Amino acid sequence: MLRKEQNDLLTQTGPGTPMGQMFRSSWQPALLASELPEPGCPPVRVKLLSERLLAWRDSNNKLALTDEFCAHRGVSLWFGRNEHGGLRCPYHGWKYDHTGQCVEVPSEPSESGYCQKIKLKSYPLIERGGVLWTYMGPPEKQPPLPEWEFATVPTEQSFMSKRLQECNWLQAMEGGIDSSHVSFLHSGELNSDPLFKGSKGNQYNMGDMKPVFEVVESPGGLYIGARRNAENGNYYWRITQYVLPAFTMIAPRADHPVHGHFWVPIDDHNCWAWSFDYKVTRPLSAKERKAMEDGQGIHVSYVPGTFIPAANKTNDYLVDRQAQKEGRTFSGVFGIAMQDASLQESMGPIIDRTKENLVSTDNGIIMARHKLLRALKAMEKGETPPGVSAEHQKVRSAAVVLPPDKPFKDAAKDALVVQNGREHATV
Amino acid sequence: MQSESARMSSAAEARYRINAPNSKQRAVKVIALDAPSERIVKELAQRPWNGATFFTASAFGTTPKAGESFAGWLSDLAGRTKDLIDEVNSADLVVMIAAAGESAQAASIIGEACSVKRVMTTALVLGGNTVSDEALSKTLSHLRPWALMLVIASAEEYIADMLTALRA
Repeated sequence: MLRKEQNDLLTQTGPGTPMGQMFRSSWQPALLASELPEPGCPPVRVKLLSERLLAWRDSNNKLALTDEFCAHRGVSLWFGRNEHGGLRCPYHGWKYDHTGQCVEVPSEPSESGYCQKIKLKSYPLIERGGVLWTYMGPPEKQPPLPEWEFATVPTEQSFMSKRLQECNWLQAMEGGIDSSHVSFLHSGELNSDPLFKGSKGNQYNMGDMKPVFEVVESPGGLYIGARRNAENGNYYWRITQYVLPAFTMIAPRADHPVHGHFWVPIDDHNCWAWSFDYKVTRPLSAKERKAMEDGQGIHVSYVPGTFIPAANKTNDYLVDRQAQKEGRTFSGVFGIAMQDASLQESMGPIIDRTKENLVSTDNGIIMARHKLLRALKAMEKGETPPGVSAEHQKVRSAAVVLPPDKPFKDAAKDALVVQNGREHATV
Repeated sequence: MQSESARMSSAAEARYRINAPNSKQRAVKVIALDAPSERIVKELAQRPWNGATFFTASAFGTTPKAGESFAGWLSDLAGRTKDLIDEVNSADLVVMIAAAGESAQAASIIGEACSVKRVMTTALVLGGNTVSDEALSKTLSHLRPWALMLVIASAEEYIADMLTALRA
């Protein structure tokens, strides 16, 4: 459980909030690069950290993320004309450049220089790994570009998707580090999903339904190790990475692409669940990419033209009670992502954590909250939060077999950080 | 018409969640396995808790010899001996606290008692970053067979946060 004031502190991410400040300390995925496919293309509405923004790529190919609304009468610039190196409000013709600077107010004499006095709030927007990233903090504290490994491999080696999740970011993120639910909620998928099946690790998983968990602090967050018995008295470890505030990477299986998530607040009641898959040394196969595009693995299929999952709250997540009864899916919902999202959304927009009854196996969640609260206190004293530095971002999850007495953090030390040109340690 | 899931997961509907206690007090027993942990546990015990009780096994670092009983094998923080089996019998959760690098041999006795009585065990190792891999391995080798959940934490404050989260 958390006290109400702690719950409020961790779940509120709007401007001026401490948790919002933590998100504003590092680059966040804002939209897919494919959403702004070419110079002069239509702008895209973006709400992030409770701010209404507009992303656009001007006719000179400069990326922009600006206040959504015209400074004149407050109309949405989503209706704007993307032309000649700027975005023009269709109402009275005010025009803005990619920094949000107003460059034309047609009703005023150009000699007056009035337009120079008008500037929309804007944030930097950069492209990396098929994602457009933004930094929403103070310009003087802008960190180096994101170094997450999936964003640095060639684009044919990675796949990125996002989906709307209609609940607070924290309950979505906590699902990502709640390893003990996998043996139940996702039990149907381990041996059937093309992006999971066929690994020796799955045999360990299914042979030992009661893993033992170890939670260990890492420089940027946590390692969450799930331990199962392997041969000759050794342990099979699946080590998940959590980096503050909202990055998780799940342990790999065999030669399948490695995957993970960002959980980025849209506002306090909604978040983007970003899902990545990548390989370090080879392109994704056509079959793998097709499976991801079709919504398998940790991805979803969509309501056409949106990032709303096809199975969503408006259709009761297409729950199939017969499939549940027959054991084809544990909850009746199909697909790993929506199995999680359906339950997390069912908690309501922000779960009241004063009411919960955590148990010992929830220590990953307890430690994550502890680290977040500690980081918020340290930020008050001017410290940079975890997750900002490249060292914290160049991390990997791992699946390894180790001798029984070894601390996995040390025994798998090399496997838990980026090794250039080498694949993840996997079983 | 809105689906039931859409309607019921709204903020408005959250107001109708039943506002009544949904759990009873749990018996959480916190046991220091070594002298450095005993100091921490003694400090923790001064705080208000929801029924958690605190013990030390630091004076009983080895397995009882044949014929010895568990009767006096545990002590409370006032130094009164306690029967391990009695304490485990009445526990919902046993939390063992160990300092990294210290011998956590007592874990085997406590863990075995918990295993027999089917009581959940959690081990918390403090200061994992301050000792060598070998020293940490030694502590882990004693804890792993008996801890169903193990946490290696850098801050002592984590114990209090964890116990609070568990409503201890």
